[in-house]
Amino acid sequence: MNIYSPTDTPEFNSGQSYDIAIIGAGPAGMSAAVTAAEAGASVVVLDDKPKAGGQIYRNVTNSPLTQPELLGEDYLKGAALVEAFEKSSTEHIHAANVWHVGDNGEVLFSRDGGTQSLTARELIVSGGAMERPFPIPGWHLPGVMSAGSAQVMLKSDGLVRDDAVFVGTGPLLYLIVAQYLRLGVPVKALVDTTPKSAYLDAMAEVGGALSATSMLRKGLLLLNEIRQAGVPVYRFASDLQITGNSAVTGLKFTSGNEGRQLEAEHIFLHQGVIPNLNLTRAMGLEHHWCDQQLCWKPTLNRWGQSSLDTIAVAGDGSGIVGADGASVMGKLAALNQLQRLGQISADSRDQQAQPLFRELERLNKFRRFIDRLYRPIKAHRIPESDDTVVCRCEERTVADLKRGFELGANGPQDLKGMTRCGMGPCQGRQCGHTVSELLAQWRGISVAEVGYYRLRSPMRLLNLTELGQFSRVEPKPSTTGAAS
Amino acid sequence: MKNANSDVLIIGGGIQGCSTAYNLARQGVSVTVLEKDWVSRHASGVNAGGVRVLGRDVAEVELSKASMELWHGLDDELDADTGFRARSLINIAADENDMETLRKREALMHGLDYHHEKMIDQQELRERLPHVAPHCVGGVVSEQDGYAIPYQSTLAFRRAAERFGAKFVEGVAAQRIRKIGQQWLVETNQGRFEAEHLVNCSGAWADQIAVKIGDNVPLTHSAPMLMITTRMPHFATPVVGAVSRPLSFKQFENGTVLIGGGAKGFADRENNRTRLDYAKMAVGARNAVEFFPIMATASVNRMWAGLEAYMPDNLPVIGGSVNADNAWHAFGFSAHGFQMGPIVGQVMAELITTGRSRFDLNKFRIDRFERKVL
Repeated sequence: MNIYSPTDTPEFNSGQSYDIAIIGAGPAGMSAAVTAAEAGASVVVLDDKPKAGGQIYRNVTNSPLTQPELLGEDYLKGAALVEAFEKSSTEHIHAANVWHVGDNGEVLFSRDGGTQSLTARELIVSGGAMERPFPIPGWHLPGVMSAGSAQVMLKSDGLVRDDAVFVGTGPLLYLIVAQYLRLGVPVKALVDTTPKSAYLDAMAEVGGALSATSMLRKGLLLLNEIRQAGVPVYRFASDLQITGNSAVTGLKFTSGNEGRQLEAEHIFLHQGVIPNLNLTRAMGLEHHWCDQQLCWKPTLNRWGQSSLDTIAVAGDGSGIVGADGASVMGKLAALNQLQRLGQISADSRDQQAQPLFRELERLNKFRRFIDRLYRPIKAHRIPESDDTVVCRCEERTVADLKRGFELGANGPQDLKGMTRCGMGPCQGRQCGHTVSELLAQWRGISVAEVGYYRLRSPMRLLNLTELGQFSRVEPKPSTTGAAS
Repeated sequence: MKNANSDVLIIGGGIQGCSTAYNLARQGVSVTVLEKDWVSRHASGVNAGGVRVLGRDVAEVELSKASMELWHGLDDELDADTGFRARSLINIAADENDMETLRKREALMHGLDYHHEKMIDQQELRERLPHVAPHCVGGVVSEQDGYAIPYQSTLAFRRAAERFGAKFVEGVAAQRIRKIGQQWLVETNQGRFEAEHLVNCSGAWADQIAVKIGDNVPLTHSAPMLMITTRMPHFATPVVGAVSRPLSFKQFENGTVLIGGGAKGFADRENNRTRLDYAKMAVGARNAVEFFPIMATASVNRMWAGLEAYMPDNLPVIGGSVNADNAWHAFGFSAHGFQMGPIVGQVMAELITTGRSRFDLNKFRIDRFERKVL
């Protein structure tokens, strides 16, 4: 029997520390690891999936599909990075669910049914993005999924759904539909919510820069591919409403000034991605609201260094930059930390960083264009109908929140206390942005002034048995950067 | 806001301050509450919500029993939903040593003519808590105990106080406190507040306010930690504690289970925040599973800690200043003050309006440690 005594408290911060711990093995995390390991740092990468690659390059080196090339060249090009990462001296701890990162360099994660801890001098958070919530009437019904989840099912298990209706906007949406069609999966319809005005606004943003024009063409080519496959495409759609009582039965919307109705058992929603904030918020990093991307972002300097100087954030978790931008950011964050650790000089850092900064600038221009073109419209971000569910975990509707607001809850944190909105297992991931924007609208102030939930570890669920079992991970002698 | 005057100025918008404001305002006294953050921000909003008479120090029993009566009618009195549920509280005895501890406690309580704590044997324990681990041998139950939702309860007092005209000013910290003639003057970051009476209900910051009033007090602060699970099938109706282990939990109506037990994290009072001690959390997790094997697969959803004030004897300070007239203290509840909130508000209102209390407050004097030196 396990009797409590102060002496059985596990020791946390004894023993060896890593130079750099990286959370997330997507393009940012892998690039950072390769850069840091090459310079001789002891590096550990923690990732929740069985294989490196992140969302975008998920299973790229071991796809369950017989013809993974059908998923496109943007997917396949990840294989080289995954291989470079696997060849590096980085210690890769896969299937590790990080649930706490302290400002003291302590990282706690669940693995193999227990909790493991390690410490590192510097940390890079590359936790990636999540899909933006799409709070329209009926989005909580069984049968509704995000298009991204549909892609995850496809990439990791080769699972698909026949005759689904895809709804929303953004390059990822068109790509997933095209991927489905190339694999021979029937798609019922694509309901495109990109407003007509967005095309003009986006072109005005970049004045017809070549990269932007080619991007626009890429999107239109995908749309064309979808049309030619015989899939009905409804453009400039608005007034979305998912029908059904206990499960999805269909979708109502307006397109071309005409009310329309489609029957469907599966609806896949997507209106772009936003940084996954649970890690960086729970760590207490400073954040700010970004009007261009309509999301909260950790506040960083040009090296990705956060308000806590030992912690950097890189990749889509810092603001949406795409896979190429993430890779560049990962390298920059690693270079800066190598310099902070005394493993390279400031001159060497700056010299290696110069082309990377130029590349990032080029990508950012292009990003402004995409952000403008696929900007989710207000009605799809800030729900209007009283019955629309905002918090799916606790099933709180717009009306519930309005009541809490009228009772005096002015900020997301008060509203959480009053209504339980954001208290469920997702820790507000699905409702945080909606709540910030709703409160800003009700109060007639900016989202920045409204703020966000105060989050705490654990950043994800862990069970009591996992929590109760502790062990410590230290650098293997072969990977310590003792030479430096 | 400049030179705001009222009869009574309360520093601290936790449950003690809000309840005191309510009990004064309903008698027509003009009250202002100053809160440096926002009402119910700290211990009053984030505690475990236990509403118990069981296991109280004998010095607190009379107050605690009177408070419990108030809890049973509180939603009606305040016209609000505090989330109070009388579910009973059971402290579990894990072995014969625990039973011996309970028998001694029973003799003490019966000697004082208190009969609200009742010992139960192993069979009754299993009837009341079918999922308890087989090695547990018995326990003690208090039938009228239960839990409430802390944030809602504190807010309920605030709203009721406001309906009687009390004013709450949030985001205002007392920087300088002076007494000029019969008036207390409190300088803040948002102007000056004046009142005839000053009440210190500042929780983990109460020693700083006490010093400004003129009273020294050996207060410490810490960060008791809690965690809550996702929804589980219903398995426990009573609130559960353990006689000699740091374990306490309650299952709410929505199925979530709140696990506490007194393990403390790190209190960073200057920065208004806490850090958790995950190794101690792990011990709490193991204890929960040991007493209730069904919790082995429970998913932890959130963990947190609140900033709480402790006195060396774990008893609160309730009463007047010893060095200044018309200054009053109610703080230092040492992690069990939430249940006392309703009665403490009444006591403070009595003291301020009549100078007396129907309770014996001698054990709660602010200078009780000063008198003991050598």
